Amino acid sequence: MPKIVLHGVRSTEPMLLAVQIGNAARSAFLNYSHSRRCDVGGRRFFSVTYSLFGRGPPSRKEKKTVEIPGLDRVTYADRMHFVPGLAKPIFPDWQRHWHDPHHYRGPNNEEMKLHKENPCYVFNQRTKILEGVRQALWLTKSKLIQGLPEHILSLADDPANQIEDQDARVQQAIRHSRFWDTTAIRPKRDRFCPVLLWDLLHLCGTLQVKHTSLSKRILAENYRVAALWNRESDIFQVRGLNGMLLNSMTPLPVVAQSGEVLATKNHTLETFYPISPTIDLQCTYVYDQKNDTGFRDRYPYPHTHTLFFTETEDSAAKFKPEQLRAKMIMFAFGNALARAKSLHGEHPQVLEHPVVVQSIATDGRLFQFIVLQLNTTDLGPDTGVKNLVWMDQDQLLYDYAKCRPLIKKKIVTVPAGLSGYQPETFRKFLALHLHGAV
Amino acid sequence: MAAPSRLPLLQVCSTRVFLLRCTQGFHSEPTVREPAYPPVIPSRTAKSKSAKKRREDDYHSQIRAASSVQDKLRLLTKLQREKYVVYPQTFTLNADRWYQHFTKTVFLPGLPEKFSVGRQVVDNENGKVPPAAGGVDPAVVDENTFSELRSLVGNGILQENFYLKKRRPFLQKEQEHVVAPFLSNLVSSVTNALAKYNPLLKKSSLDFNPEVSFYWVRGERTVTRGHRRGRVDPIRFQINDQPHCQIRVPEQLEEFLPLQESVSAEVPVVHFEPNRLPMFQRQYDNNIFIGSKVTDPCSYGHTQFHLVHDRFKRDRLIKGNLADQIEVRLRANAIASLFAWTGAQAMYQGFWSHEDLTRPFVSQAVVTDGQYFSFFCYQLNTLALTVQTDQNNPRKNICWGTENMRLYEEVKDGEVVGLNDDVLKLLVHFLLNKPQKM
Repeated sequence: MPKIVLHGVRSTEPMLLAVQIGNAARSAFLNYSHSRRCDVGGRRFFSVTYSLFGRGPPSRKEKKTVEIPGLDRVTYADRMHFVPGLAKPIFPDWQRHWHDPHHYRGPNNEEMKLHKENPCYVFNQRTKILEGVRQALWLTKSKLIQGLPEHILSLADDPANQIEDQDARVQQAIRHSRFWDTTAIRPKRDRFCPVLLWDLLHLCGTLQVKHTSLSKRILAENYRVAALWNRESDIFQVRGLNGMLLNSMTPLPVVAQSGEVLATKNHTLETFYPISPTIDLQCTYVYDQKNDTGFRDRYPYPHTHTLFFTETEDSAAKFKPEQLRAKMIMFAFGNALARAKSLHGEHPQVLEHPVVVQSIATDGRLFQFIVLQLNTTDLGPDTGVKNLVWMDQDQLLYDYAKCRPLIKKKIVTVPAGLSGYQPETFRKFLALHLHGAV
Repeated sequence: MAAPSRLPLLQVCSTRVFLLRCTQGFHSEPTVREPAYPPVIPSRTAKSKSAKKRREDDYHSQIRAASSVQDKLRLLTKLQREKYVVYPQTFTLNADRWYQHFTKTVFLPGLPEKFSVGRQVVDNENGKVPPAAGGVDPAVVDENTFSELRSLVGNGILQENFYLKKRRPFLQKEQEHVVAPFLSNLVSSVTNALAKYNPLLKKSSLDFNPEVSFYWVRGERTVTRGHRRGRVDPIRFQINDQPHCQIRVPEQLEEFLPLQESVSAEVPVVHFEPNRLPMFQRQYDNNIFIGSKVTDPCSYGHTQFHLVHDRFKRDRLIKGNLADQIEVRLRANAIASLFAWTGAQAMYQGFWSHEDLTRPFVSQAVVTDGQYFSFFCYQLNTLALTVQTDQNNPRKNICWGTENMRLYEEVKDGEVVGLNDDVLKLLVHFLLNKPQKM
């Protein structure tokens, strides 16, 4: 068969585009099926062109069946064919009498075993709440204090607690994570962010030579936490995978003493009317009420020390700093609450020995530090003792880490390499790491 | 001169002037004449063997004259051609013999003298241990530290297998789900605990999921079909490995055997082409990478930790009458990975096939599936593997390796049953390896 050569015909791409645009302009969104095999009404398309661009005749609207009590509907079911004038019979739904996993529809919410009457608002690892830190503080009944506590920060100022050539080693760690870790020119964020965190943790781990109690800790990835509490007649839960957890054998020492704790009674929680505090939380009627630290009983490292959050490949889990801080507060609170309830029971009470949990989040350059002290599990009323949150936000570890210099109008504005290193941030990181072991 | 005069020749020859002129020139240097024409060398562009040889020699001298290591590596890897991709974790039968042939490696069962003589790693009597027969002071660890390490390892095993509440792993992801976190915890905790005995570990860099790649040429083949038929082509190989974690150090480890010492064992020779293994060719970026770029100060390797992949199941191999392949696969993994790592380290120092090593490069590896551990040591003595450079090269690369040993029998009711101290001692010995002068 001779080869058919089309001369003088350009590629069909521009032509298709025009058709596409035309179709898009003409048809409504629902009728436009992009490579789906059927439209919304379930009508199937039998060719490629139709499944891409086809509209077909509009689907007929279903006529409502009128039920008049006391009157039987005369249908054409017995006649086995359509008869004008008689009503359409309503046949029972067809049941497949065997379990086909490809066509399985689960039970409705109301039929599920764990269905409850009252809804529960769940905070999971992808939740980005609108009001950020304010909402998290209201939900956890906490008072915010800007800046980390002094006695924790002073741990890193002591020269005995510092690593040899600390600044040089940290800068080397930054260069390794930002420049040297890949065969390409620069690694992606979801690669350099956890690498930087592991490098910094490895640096902090070398301090075990001086402080042997640092060995009483272990890292746990892929653990799931569950914590349940109610605030003003609404039930809230924190659930699921969150980040990397550093557990320790000994609990963290209490940060704020009882005087400061009792003084929080006078603090009023900030509300943000007209926005409801339950906004952006997943509202569900089917939930299990449980408090679970994620580990079994008699775990040798029962106390939560620090929770680490990094940027991951999941594009839906990219957080802006405000939402990231809210997530940190919520998960630190969830861990603390689960721990407190397992130690002291479910009954809401003011804790004699408050539970302290730390949290550090980074996107490879910005660091957020949070220390949360859980003073009370009595979270129902708005009054009473509050929990305490110390926050240090948006701490830059370095200004720029450029693989190629930034040149504007032939002047090098930012040189290639690491510039603008700030040693304070790593000192805070180290201080939080040493807290509880020194 | 005698001709124009009418005197007889003999009379002229006996004159004083004539005799002076004849004897004057005997002891002086012959006059150096500048060559009037450039040297006669083969053409650069002709279709001849001498022209090809000249092009190759020019290329080699260009590499030798390269100003920096990055330039050298770029020149060696810039030309992309089809190459065999060597997978360290392979399921091909008897792959270890083939890999030994490709890398000119000799396999010696057991471990080098350093790890067997004076194996007393743990100081049981808390006193000074006399040096071993070889005069080398073995690294000694306190009894307390060793028991602490035992508990760390035991807790790590228990956390992943018992205490941490996990869901069922996804199909073929059991290693990532269970074993990988345990191995990360094991490596970081043991390294931190041993940092006080081995100052090299304090300066080390711990990478997780690094990329290690190596590109080399070994052997030649005649092209059988195609427009290049009859031409002799070198056989190119590439390894792209991803160990679970590795420790890189700024100083080189000491050699196990002197460079010139010959080993009695022979390198197995395989007369088949690599594609009979089966191994397949692809053309893509040629990379030479130790896990970090050339500018990283930690440019020497210490220990790599490999996880076997999920398809490697012992019981299935035993059931399929392939029980010996268990060891084969582990050996193949170790030989390929360690050759790639040590080769890349050597190339980072400027050595390549035509500028052979002046000192051996040494690295260690541990291959595990969570329960079974095997330990390997590798000494790279030569990079001259091409046909031209291998003609008078008596040096061989050496790989030592153990059989796999069980770390623990099973986990039962929150207890680790049968924790094997020998495996731990060997791991400690491996990590305590450091250059003599430290």
